[in-house]
Amino acid sequence: MAALADEKKSQQEEARHVTIDVGDGAAIPSKKDAGLFTAWRVAFFGAIATIVYLAVSKPDPYLDIIKFVPDGILVTFEVTVLSILLALVIGLFTGLGRISKNPLINGIASLYVEVIRGIPLLVQLFYIYFALGRIVQMPPLPSAVFAMGICYGAYMGEIFRAGIQSIPMGQTEAARSLGMSNSQSMYHVILPQAFKTILPPVGNEFVALLKDSSLVSILAVADLLRRGREFAAESFTYFETYTIVALVYLIITLFLSKLISIMEERIGAE
Amino acid sequence: MQNDPRRKMVEMKGVVKFFGTLKALDNVSLDVYDGEKVVIIGPSGSGKSTLLRSVNRLEEINAGTIMVDGFEISDPKTNINKVREEVGMVFQQFNVFPHKTVLENLTLAQKVVRKRSKSDAEKIAKDLLAKVGILEKAREYPTRLSGGQQQRVAIARALAMQPKLMLFDEPTSALDPEMIGEVLDVMVKLAKEGMTMIVVTHEMGFAREVSDRVIFMDEGKILEEGSPEHFFKNPAHDRTKQFMRQIL
Repeated sequence: MAALADEKKSQQEEARHVTIDVGDGAAIPSKKDAGLFTAWRVAFFGAIATIVYLAVSKPDPYLDIIKFVPDGILVTFEVTVLSILLALVIGLFTGLGRISKNPLINGIASLYVEVIRGIPLLVQLFYIYFALGRIVQMPPLPSAVFAMGICYGAYMGEIFRAGIQSIPMGQTEAARSLGMSNSQSMYHVILPQAFKTILPPVGNEFVALLKDSSLVSILAVADLLRRGREFAAESFTYFETYTIVALVYLIITLFLSKLISIMEERIGAE
Repeated sequence: MQNDPRRKMVEMKGVVKFFGTLKALDNVSLDVYDGEKVVIIGPSGSGKSTLLRSVNRLEEINAGTIMVDGFEISDPKTNINKVREEVGMVFQQFNVFPHKTVLENLTLAQKVVRKRSKSDAEKIAKDLLAKVGILEKAREYPTRLSGGQQQRVAIARALAMQPKLMLFDEPTSALDPEMIGEVLDVMVKLAKEGMTMIVVTHEMGFAREVSDRVIFMDEGKILEEGSPEHFFKNPAHDRTKQFMRQIL
């Protein structure tokens, strides 16, 4: 029995040190990783310099493109932020469901994760927009957010599950021993601590989702990529337009990665 | 504290607990009366922690009955949270809440479970922190405290619920030797105030000073019980003698 207890303990201790690495967002630069740190600078300032250079040296068509696409950036952010909020809510409940002892709840949550992770996001977008559109007609933007939220909710659920499980059992036991219910101990003791572990992978997901949001351009949502396509189709400047679109995506994701790494450092320093 | 020494605070009958195929508790029966201080000793793997943890259902038993404060906690229908409000628990690893200040550690459950107002909860918390000698750390985060201080926070946190029974699961085993005394002092003080206590420990000095009864467990069974003096002078079983030689 002692061996069992010891094993439990060492598993808990191990779990404490696990860093969750999910998602395929831009690598988050940290000061320890000097190579990446420099690469970040080169890419970020290089991209800005390139845009400025192109706009100044060849205002036709580059300046026109730069004037045309910013509307799309706002839509891209709108889709990203709304989707991530939906994904966080779905993810929280999925994560709780995945660790639930209730076989029905656990089964539903696990099935959701398995099914969603097995279907490409592009297919899900089509499916929700066209297939479900036969039942309820939804405008493009909400259905895009809905589809992205459902998809990312599954990944987010795994992040929440891992984050919750990284908190030592003793914390739950202490909370429950004080008479707190399961949900009270989750809300007051476990989730606030899990938040720290969860934040970096959630940041990763945010960046990844921003990039994936370019897929919604197929649903007639006027995001950054779609604005680019519209401009290119009219002016036949495909190469030039997609150069700018790619650079803008790059600047945004690099900027966000930086923001997340700063946030992480703040939290880590506490 | 008013104790009724004829009233049973804990009544365990024929308790059996399996971990997989391993029998951690083998038909254990034990009564603890109101105001009594019981110390449980035994080699690691003897089931003493499991026994303690079954008293507030941190471990669910496979057979037998456990009554605590008049509630049958082995009955799944019993609202265990209500019983746990009255049963404080102190862990080997302290398990203080690292994201809350020392004061918040003590007020959280008072507010959430006991529904006390913030000011009432803080008053009770500060009195207890003064009692365990760390009032000046009230605004600190517990991770900045020494092990001994963290354990005193954990004891105060349990006491803030004003429990009828306190369970201690090897409270000094994870401490550096120079910090054991400060924690034991708090526990002795608590015992002298009449708190009903069940303590899993190897600190025989503590057992001698405050305990009414010592229980020796081996292989999931209660092998021997008696006064602390009995264990010091003439334990009956060879296993007990051997164990006492090891820890003294």
